[in-house]
Amino acid sequence: MIALEQWLRVQQFLFHEARLLDERRLQEWLALYADDAEYWVPYAWEQQSPQDHVSLFYETKSLLSMRIDRLERELSPLDSPMARVNHYLTNVQVDAVTVEGGAELTARAHLLFVEHRREEQRWFAGRSSWRLRPRGEGFLIAAKRVDLLNADQDQGHLRFAVPF
Amino acid sequence: MREENGSKAYAELVGRGRVHRRFYTDPEVFAEEQARIFRRVWLWLGHDSQLRQPGDFFTARLAGERVIVARHTDGAIHAFHNRCTHRGAEVCPAAAGNARNFVCPYHAWTYRTDGSLASVPLDQGYGADWRSRVAGLGLEPVARVSSYRGFLFGSHAAQGESLETYLGPQVRAAFDNLVERAPDGEVELAGGKTVQRYRGNWKLQLENSIDLLHPRILHRSAIDAADRVDHGGQPPSIEWDIVKSNGLTLREWDGMQIAAMPGGHCWMAGFLTKAIDENALQARYRKMMVERYGEERASQILAFNRHNTIVYPNLFVNSRVAQIRVLQPVSVDCTEQHGYIFRLKGAPEEMFEASVRMVNTNNSPSSIVTSDDHEIFERIQQSLAGGRHEWVDLSRGLEHEDTPEGTNELPMRNQHRAWAQYMQA
Repeated sequence: MIALEQWLRVQQFLFHEARLLDERRLQEWLALYADDAEYWVPYAWEQQSPQDHVSLFYETKSLLSMRIDRLERELSPLDSPMARVNHYLTNVQVDAVTVEGGAELTARAHLLFVEHRREEQRWFAGRSSWRLRPRGEGFLIAAKRVDLLNADQDQGHLRFAVPF
Repeated sequence: MREENGSKAYAELVGRGRVHRRFYTDPEVFAEEQARIFRRVWLWLGHDSQLRQPGDFFTARLAGERVIVARHTDGAIHAFHNRCTHRGAEVCPAAAGNARNFVCPYHAWTYRTDGSLASVPLDQGYGADWRSRVAGLGLEPVARVSSYRGFLFGSHAAQGESLETYLGPQVRAAFDNLVERAPDGEVELAGGKTVQRYRGNWKLQLENSIDLLHPRILHRSAIDAADRVDHGGQPPSIEWDIVKSNGLTLREWDGMQIAAMPGGHCWMAGFLTKAIDENALQARYRKMMVERYGEERASQILAFNRHNTIVYPNLFVNSRVAQIRVLQPVSVDCTEQHGYIFRLKGAPEEMFEASVRMVNTNNSPSSIVTSDDHEIFERIQQSLAGGRHEWVDLSRGLEHEDTPEGTNELPMRNQHRAWAQYMQA
């Protein structure tokens, strides 16, 4: 059981991450990620590996950087007009784990993602999980995984511009 | 589009160097092309490797209709409609699996893997002639099923040319090459599939896949982002390379080889050179190919440099990276594109993993490349509905189709000429 204060600290951090995405402070968002971070949104429910099966997103920090650089610097047709998004996080749970090279935390939350663009509002629900490395008073994201409830739906997702 | 001169009038939507906007927007045209094109031609269903054992099956869509494809106990492959002959319920809800029988969940009518009716509960209740009716109550077979090099196709038309004739030598070469790129001479469908849906007509994607004038322009935001990446001395990722590859200059795109074939098929030369040729993994793979095929044949196989080979009306074969995509038209203004990957048997597993990452980048709903294409298709679909101009221009290179430059719109006109032929036949 982790201390209440630690739980609050993690929760504040996750809310901060969500807010940076919502407010399109994408460079600040990226700065929350460790250089070796992995960002993964599987395509299959309970997908075991990103290596042998396609993913909705499976990106290194460098690829995420390219993605948000595009969103920030030029208007791609996909992002014009810009999407407005809200990330809602609930059911936050935090566990302490020991990894090689020190202590990490894992956090889990339920995600509701609402996007409005071009006269259309879309909703996605999912489960997010993070591996967090303590850094000063805050954290660095070592890995993030988002499992959408409809990840494997057969009818297509249309398009995603802003990460979850 | 009324009946007295209906079929002729459809063909008139395709003009010289232009097509009428109703070609993309009219629900009646869509219904008619489903009947006259999609229900007549050979359409890709799946691959042999999905049906290894007797009882293995997968479900698919064939011209919008739900079908089951299964390997029967005798080893033969059967395809039939996924619709109980009793009351019409879907018999098999699974995407794939292994089954001894297919049992309808409604009243338990039970079918064998060749589609024949095996048993019915309380069958004495169906009348004196029941025994004689049973033979006709198997699941409705798909009219024709055939395979080329392990690629399974179906057709709703009982009559017509053979699959081999339909594909023709240049399309067959794309399948040949895809299979031959495996050091073991065999490929398997693996790694799941991607689904991208857009609210636009299916022919917009068909045109786009051979439109070499657009990548540098439409995908500029992605190309420029790739240009700004600092690799910090590390080799670039395949994801990066694929985005970057779209950034050939217009003149370079114009210098690419394209070809248009009878039946609406076409192909374009490959352009992903850096991504897939210049690394240690490729050197290791090439060595395996030489061991398997000998230097000369291996060089021939690996020199086959095509990106999309487009099989009219809805299949894109990319031999060089062992991927295919198939279009499933949903309605006049809604289309799905499904992407699949093949594992080259005997090749290093890292090649398959690279292929998975390439598909994530190119064909996922999160793609920073094709998402822009699909966004444009939706805007075309919306704006074609209005305005004074009834025609869409496709005249680029019309005067020199026998020596087409890369950005010549010949392959698109070739697709639409095939369309007109089907629609008036």
